[in-house]
This record gives sequence, C-alpha cells and structure tokens, in this order.
Amino acid sequence: MGSMNDLVQAELRKITTTGLWWGLLIPTVLVALGGGLLSGGFGQLMIEFTTSAEAEQLSDVLGVTPDQWKFSLLGIGRTINIVTLFPLVFGAMAVANEIGTRTITTTFLTAQNRAQAMLAKLLVYALWGAIYGIATIAAVALGVVLTSGSSQMPGIGDWAMLALACVLASILMTMFGVGLGALLPNAAGVVVLLIMYFLVIENAVQFGLRLSGTPETVVGFLPNGSVNGLTGSVVVDLFMAKAGVVPEEGIDFLRIIAGAGGAQAWWLSGLIFFAWVAASFGGGWARMTQKDIT
Amino acid sequence: MHDGSGLIAVQNLTKHFGPVAAVQNLSFTVSPGSVTGFLGPNGAGKTTTLRMLLGLVRPTSGTATINGRPFHQLGRPGRVVGAVLEAQGFHPRRTARNHLRVYTAAIGVPDAQADQVLTLVGLGSAADRSVGGFSLGMKQRLAVATALLGDPQVLVLDEPANGLDPEGIAWLRNFLQSFARMGRTVLISSHLLAEVEQTVDQVVIVSRGQTVYYGPLEQLRQQQQRRVLVQPSDIGALAGALQAEGVTAIEQLPDGRLAVSGVDSKHVADCALRAGVSIYGIQEEQVDLEQLFFRLTSGQYAGHVPAPYQQGGWAR
Ligand SMILES: Nc1ncnc2c1ncn2[C@@H]1O[C@H](COP(=O)(O)OP(=O)(O)O)[C@@H](O)[C@H]1O
Ligand SMILES: [Mg+2]
Repeated sequence: MGSMNDLVQAELRKITTTGLWWGLLIPTVLVALGGGLLSGGFGQLMIEFTTSAEAEQLSDVLGVTPDQWKFSLLGIGRTINIVTLFPLVFGAMAVANEIGTRTITTTFLTAQNRAQAMLAKLLVYALWGAIYGIATIAAVALGVVLTSGSSQMPGIGDWAMLALACVLASILMTMFGVGLGALLPNAAGVVVLLIMYFLVIENAVQFGLRLSGTPETVVGFLPNGSVNGLTGSVVVDLFMAKAGVVPEEGIDFLRIIAGAGGAQAWWLSGLIFFAWVAASFGGGWARMTQKDIT
Repeated sequence: MHDGSGLIAVQNLTKHFGPVAAVQNLSFTVSPGSVTGFLGPNGAGKTTTLRMLLGLVRPTSGTATINGRPFHQLGRPGRVVGAVLEAQGFHPRRTARNHLRVYTAAIGVPDAQADQVLTLVGLGSAADRSVGGFSLGMKQRLAVATALLGDPQVLVLDEPANGLDPEGIAWLRNFLQSFARMGRTVLISSHLLAEVEQTVDQVVIVSRGQTVYYGPLEQLRQQQQRRVLVQPSDIGALAGALQAEGVTAIEQLPDGRLAVSGVDSKHVADCALRAGVSIYGIQEEQVDLEQLFFRLTSGQYAGHVPAPYQQGGWAR
C-alpha cells in the first residue's frame, strides 16, 4: 500500500519539523538520569546501612542476606514509571495539536481516508515511544553506573529485561496518549487531565484503599496501576531472583516501593494496560473518523 | 476509481447541526473549463457545503461528488482536488517549505513540487521562515500553494480573497482563470459578488442553505433590465413617440424624468430628435449586479422561504 507509506512519511516529517519531540526528550533524559543517579546512590546507602554491625546481627537472626539486595532496581522501576509521563504527553499532542492548529483539515484532505491517517499516526507515534523508551533506559543506566558499586549494578540479563519493560511501557504510554488526545482534542486540557490522573488521582485512590485496609488489587487493573505494574513487577522479580530469603511482609513493601503495589505479574499488567490503550485509541479512532471537521 | 471528468455534482445536499439547518436540499453542478462562483451572505451554508464536498463534514442527506465519486473514493484525493478553506491551519513553528513537505509526502509527489508552488504563489523568499510570523495574506498564499501541491484537476476555494492584498487578489484572479482555461474546474465561494464578479463565469447563489440562482453570470446580468433615464422638454410627446415605435416599458420617475427600459440611450435620443423634443439630460442606468445579488439573497433574514431553484433562471 503505497499510500500508507506516504502517510507514515508525512507523520514522520510532522514530528521532525517541529521542536516538541526533543523539547520533551530533554526532560525525559534529565529526569531519567537523575532517577538513575538517585537509584544507584540509594542502593549504595542501603548496602552501607545493612552491612553495619547492628544490621548484620539483625539479618543473621532473621536469616536474610540484605547485603546482596539490589535496592537500586526499585529506584529504576520508579524512575521509568515517572519518566513515561513524557511520551504520554507527546502522544496526547499528536491529534490534539492538529485540531488546535487546524492542520487536521489538510491532513484529512491529503489522506485516502481518515482511518489510514490515524493508523499512520499510531505507527509513527509507537516508533517515537520506542525512541523515548530507549533514551530513558540509557539515561537511567548511565545514572546507576555513575553512583553505584558493582554490588548494586544489575546484571546484563537484568538490564535487558529492564530495557524491554521500559521500551514497552514507553510505547504503550505514547499510544494511550494518542488515543486520549483524539478523544479529548484540547491540547492543554488533555495534558493537564493525564498528568493529574497519572500523578495524583489514581495514587490518591490507591492511598485511600491502603488507609482503609482494602486490598489494592483493583489498582492493578487501572491505567496507572497496570502500566506501573509492568515495570514494577519486572524489578520486583529481578530483585527477588537474587535476594535469597525475603520475609513475606517485606515483599509487599518492596512492591509498593517499586510502584507495583496491587499489580499483577508484569506480563499480565502489560496486557491489562494494553487493553486500556486499545480502549483509548479505539475511542479516539471512532471520534476522529466520525467527527465533522468544521 | 474516479472518472477524471473534472465534474463537481452536488445533489439534494442537506446538513443539520442540531437544530440549525445549515444546508437544505442544495443541488448544482460545476463543469470543468470555467470558474464557478459560489455566492451567498454569511451563514448561507457555503462553507458547510464545500466541507461536505471535501469529506470533512458528513451530510445529513444527499450526495456531493467530484469526478463522479464521493471524496473518500477518490483514491489519492490530493492529486485530484486541491482546497483552500477558511480556518485551515498551519503549525506556527513549522517553516513554509517544511509545511509543504509534510503534504508532498502525504500526497506522494516529489519534494521539488514544494519549492515550485512556493515560487508560483510568490513565497519563494519566505520558504524557510516559520509560518507563525506570516501575515494573513502570506498564509493565504501558502494555503493556495498547499492546494496546488498535487497538481489537482479540481480547485475548491472558500473565501480565498479574505486577507489578500489587492495585488494578491489580482494574482489569484488571473491564476484561477488560466487554471480553468486549461480545462480544469474551479469552485470559489464569496459573500461578495463584486469580489468575484470579474473572475467567475458561472454562479451558484445560495441563501439560507438553498439555491436561489444557478447559471451563467452573463445570463444574470441580462436579466437585469437596463434603463435609460431621460429628462425631455416634453414628457408626453417623448412618451408618445416611443410608444409609437413599440417601446412600452416607460415609467415616470418622481423627479420628473422618464425611465425607459429595453432600449439604449441612442435609441431614445434619436426618437426624441424625430419627435422634435429637446433632451436636457440622458443617462443609462448601470447594471448593478450587487443590488441584484442583494435582492436575491435578502430573503435570508426576512423569514420567508425561497422557492426551489430552477437551472439557469430565477427562483420565482
Ligand atoms: N459546527 C457547527 N455547529 C453548529 N452550527 C454550525 C456549524 N458550522 C456551521 N454552522 C451553522 O450553519 C450555518 C451555515 O454556516 P456556514 O456554512 O459557515 O455559512 P457560510 O460559509 O455561507 O457563511 C450557519 O448558521 C452556522 O452558524
Ligand atoms: Mg464561510
């Protein structure tokens, strides 16, 4: 399909001829780097604490080996969760910006049909989500390398798994944004709504559940809970694989620290968030293919 | 695929926005080789009609086709029809050339086409400037350039003169006429007849979402009867002499002059000479299309429903 190729090319040019993508890439890299530095530093700090004399005694009593725990992983998971808000915003601007600047008219006039125009957008934004994801994991890794000793460094296999989760989360967040930006095509409005939701609203719900003692499992099925579960469950799995004995109550606490409180296994969380992406994009798609452009 | 005829056909097109009937049962066709004006006062439904033709607004009922096909069945619409629409936008931080290159890619034409159309509309030197810094007239020229990217057979322009300077309007007029002379189709809307009077050959006049006149502009002109206003020394004698020659459309104006329809001033003067009547003043009343246009469309806010249109003729 030649026309589909052409539309993909057009969408690529739309992105590369304005500054938004690198305007969001800069904070993406900075926050990821900062998160990496903190994660590595925090890991080192915990190691120094757990290898102090009193802590050694305590861990001997409990039969655990905290000096082998890679606390840095938890910070890495948290960092990725926060940083994927940038590709989310980037995705949300895809359609909302075109409606705002009214270039959507020309976009639809030059496409065979609206479905192809939307599909081209989705493909190109998925690619850009991957670019954000790769930049994120690279910056996080740099930060961790700079601040942690060899004992806190995740292994090669760990990094591969982290990179996979990070790129996947970044792509899915971008696509979720594309859908919602088409569903509520007001650039400022949709960005504020998404940030409020992912940073504040859902966390408040989760906090409320925790205070009232209700199981947080429901959170794992919500958009933020599931996408955080994708990365959070990966880091908890990686942590546990090398941690030896960890007390049962400790695991729940670890999940909360990693941002995977109440979340399902990483692949199931990924599937749940993918369902949210499908719903968001499906809604945006329906809206944009029906809407009168006046 | 489309038939390549260059024909625009609008049939029984209707659009309701909630309770607002923007377009009601509108029908007309536009043929290649001529410039057709799509005229009507603000709110008459012109923009809505053009957007339905271009697949941007879904009709409540009726059809609009280009080359025998609805817009979405044109295959590569950018190579068949180019459009300049009101409220068609640009990204303020994209340069003119980059703006065009987005759409050369989408349409699937060589990038060199972008520079070609920029030169054609006189924006060659502004190619690398951000559109956000463009004047209204420059944006309008860029919109025309965008419409021409795919070398289309059909051009649709919605009030393109808005924001253009006199030089730009003159350029557009010449361009559209030569475009049509190549056997292509041009449909151009305006709320001012005078604005497009020198550009168009055919007109579709709409009022309150309905067609009130549809046909050649020349025919519209001719239907406005010319009148000769004459001040003779003896009104009765001149009127009698004219009547004797078979001229019956004579009317006495309040200021004492005679208004004679259907003949020219030379005819009236010769007749007066033969009758021995002196003429103190004589003048041909100009064909005032604008007045005619106003009369045709003034029903819009008067609350009466115009009768259905007849091709090439009056609605009533
Ligand atoms: N998106 C819309 N929603 C509601 N009413 C609309 C919309 N677009 C146009 N209208 C109404 O439809 C009528 C025709 O508008 P329009 O087609 O823009 O006329 P014109 O272009 O001739 O000025 C007007 O009454 C206008 O208010
Ligand atoms: Mg209009």
